[in-house]
Amino acid sequence: MSNTWKLMKLMVKMQLSFAHRSTAEKSGYLILAVVMIPFGLLILTLLNEMIAVMYEAFSPTGDEAVILGILFVLMTVFYCFITIGTVLSSFYFAEDVESFVTLPFHPYQIAAGKAAVPFLSLYGINAVILLPALGFYGLHSGAGILYYCWSFFIWLLLPVLPFVLTAIAIMFIMRFVNISKNKDRSKVVAGLLGFVFVIGINVVIRLESGNQDMYQLAVEQGNLLELVTKFFPTAYISSSALTAPASLQGILYLILMIGISAGGIALFFTIGQKLYFKGVLGLSGGKRNTFTADTVEGYVKKKPLIYSLCKKEVLLILRTPTFFTQIFVQSLILPVLAIVLITMEMDGPIGGAGAQLADMNGKTVILASAALSVVIFGSNPASISSISRDGKSWFNHLYLPVPPSKVIMSKMLTAYLLNAISLILLSAAALWMINIPLPIWGAWFILSLLISWIASAAGVMVDLYSPKLDWTDEREVFKGRFIGIVPLAIEALVFGVILVIVLNIKSLQGLWPVSGALFIIFLLLALLTQRALKKITERRYHKLL
Amino acid sequence: MIEIKQVTKNFAGNAAVKDLDLTVPDGKIFGFLGPNGAGKSTTIKMMTGILPLDEGSISMNGVDISKEPIKAKHQFGYVPDRSDIFLRLKGMEYLNFIGDVFRVPENVRKEKIEYLTKSFDIYEALNDQIHTYSHGMRQKIVVSGVLLHDPDVWILDEPLTGLDPKSSYTLKEMMREHAAKGKTVFFSTHVLEVVEQLCDEVAIINKGHVQFRGSMKEMKQQFQEDNNLEKLFLELTQNE
Repeated sequence: MSNTWKLMKLMVKMQLSFAHRSTAEKSGYLILAVVMIPFGLLILTLLNEMIAVMYEAFSPTGDEAVILGILFVLMTVFYCFITIGTVLSSFYFAEDVESFVTLPFHPYQIAAGKAAVPFLSLYGINAVILLPALGFYGLHSGAGILYYCWSFFIWLLLPVLPFVLTAIAIMFIMRFVNISKNKDRSKVVAGLLGFVFVIGINVVIRLESGNQDMYQLAVEQGNLLELVTKFFPTAYISSSALTAPASLQGILYLILMIGISAGGIALFFTIGQKLYFKGVLGLSGGKRNTFTADTVEGYVKKKPLIYSLCKKEVLLILRTPTFFTQIFVQSLILPVLAIVLITMEMDGPIGGAGAQLADMNGKTVILASAALSVVIFGSNPASISSISRDGKSWFNHLYLPVPPSKVIMSKMLTAYLLNAISLILLSAAALWMINIPLPIWGAWFILSLLISWIASAAGVMVDLYSPKLDWTDEREVFKGRFIGIVPLAIEALVFGVILVIVLNIKSLQGLWPVSGALFIIFLLLALLTQRALKKITERRYHKLL
Repeated sequence: MIEIKQVTKNFAGNAAVKDLDLTVPDGKIFGFLGPNGAGKSTTIKMMTGILPLDEGSISMNGVDISKEPIKAKHQFGYVPDRSDIFLRLKGMEYLNFIGDVFRVPENVRKEKIEYLTKSFDIYEALNDQIHTYSHGMRQKIVVSGVLLHDPDVWILDEPLTGLDPKSSYTLKEMMREHAAKGKTVFFSTHVLEVVEQLCDEVAIINKGHVQFRGSMKEMKQQFQEDNNLEKLFLELTQNE
């Protein structure tokens, strides 16, 4: 057991340690933490409001446990969703997997070590949402000290079962996917799994919520909690333990929860011992296609340098599973989810939104849609990872005779292109499915192109300023860097001020004058950002190693 | 020709390379030797533009790497000691990329890619991503990339590490041919036998200073005639 513990500590230290980070990076985190305080307060206020409203609605019928039930179900879904990606990357796709396999450890010990960081990362979201939510529920229900004690245990235990079951399911699937023969394909499928999961959950929730009769029946029979937690036993047990913490029933439920979690961990070790190596061994084999052509004629193509550089970036994103999932799939989640929702609600309020927009004030519509674009395109994962993606191979750019401006431009264009895909999908849905009036659509589309350009440049700038090149696992490029929030926060501030000023200029009215003014302002902003990117490239490009 | 003049590089106040002067003439195979941490890699990184210089200048065929970096980088081909090249590209894509970077005409590219990759036995792997290659195969694809654009100056950092005997022999022959054409080959190595077999001139660096520079013959003459290179190397680089 001590070896397992040592291995877990080592892996946590390797991935989360601050020791190798520069002072600038450490102070960056501190500044970011301070900047995040208002956002944190906003989330807490929203959570508190929601719980208060729900408590008022459910407490008269004695159904307040449903609030906890919903909370635990949502958190369980979150845990499963996050775990799919983190466990796949850590267990199977990380570069360091093979170096551990050669050491004299049992498979379950390596699996436990590999699980440490993905598991601990669940407590990030846990601390931000579940912990305060449990506190607020306690305050609204006037709970005693026991409730808070049990809450802490439940808070600690809730991620365990979703995590181990998801990890076991993944180990089971990977056991049968012949990863060495189908490595690339299996990684792509794995990347898409999370995507399908999000869409699927959404569709299921929509279909379920339409079932009013079932809801009515459950309320009448007093088993609303059971209905809500139908597929999530730990959510039911946790809610029941916290509803009456001082009763014997409450204590028994807590003990049951502890027992289930311990059983889950034991099961994880047992299955890890049996399955983990079977999925891992042969991992580095990779797929080999023998090049059978007699000559290279037909494969050799001369292309402009910028095209070659962009192609290299796009291939890197599409062929690296973590980048594929975090960049390509994530940029598609929102538009595809939007299209699915619109399809399911064609007869509802969303379907008729286009007609309503036509009747609204043009100025308000274009300002609101520009603000929406800032939110959607503001954080571009391809741009904030543009330098860090290269990792240890960054130095190759330095000895090749390619001007720094061209390398950076290729990275920015790639980020812009990926943003453009989601913009095109969203705008197609807006035009053909919601029937947004053509003038509004056109103005919004053009402004969004500019917003996306600024966002891409801002993202590249931030990554160029503080890249993470010394990674062993591609996930480190995104994980724990909070880097996506920096450009988004700057843009929210800059665009927010611009939009508020335009909103308050009374003489500026109507769709076209407002769009025209925004176009000129955004164009100037894009030029300014481009200039800033050029400056920061000159200053930082050769100093990253 | 490579000219290194009064080059200094500090890391956190400590000099990794101090007032380094070195001229690598045309038509010679030049071996760069030194123990671990002597400043070899730092020097090569400064020569290739990976690290900026703190003081001094480095020029390739008369073009200053700090003042005209792009023009200077067109003068040389570099084989790094690390095989962390663009691993997600396929071998063929990598060579095409290098071809685009160095503006190699399409017909030259076709001919050379075929010739080089067949010589190094990696032709059949051209359609595979480089991360599936062994260390030796990665080394060969990078060497092929350098030879594809045929620069005047070759800078090779531990080029023979990981190569099988046949490929090692092929590369050594290519190095000799290149020098015989009046061009420059600069390489670093730890394998002293290779230096004895291959080099026209050597420089030995230790603690950021050049301890010796001259032909193999001069080196042996300067020290005891009967010493082998290993003994000379140890004598030159021993700590006081």
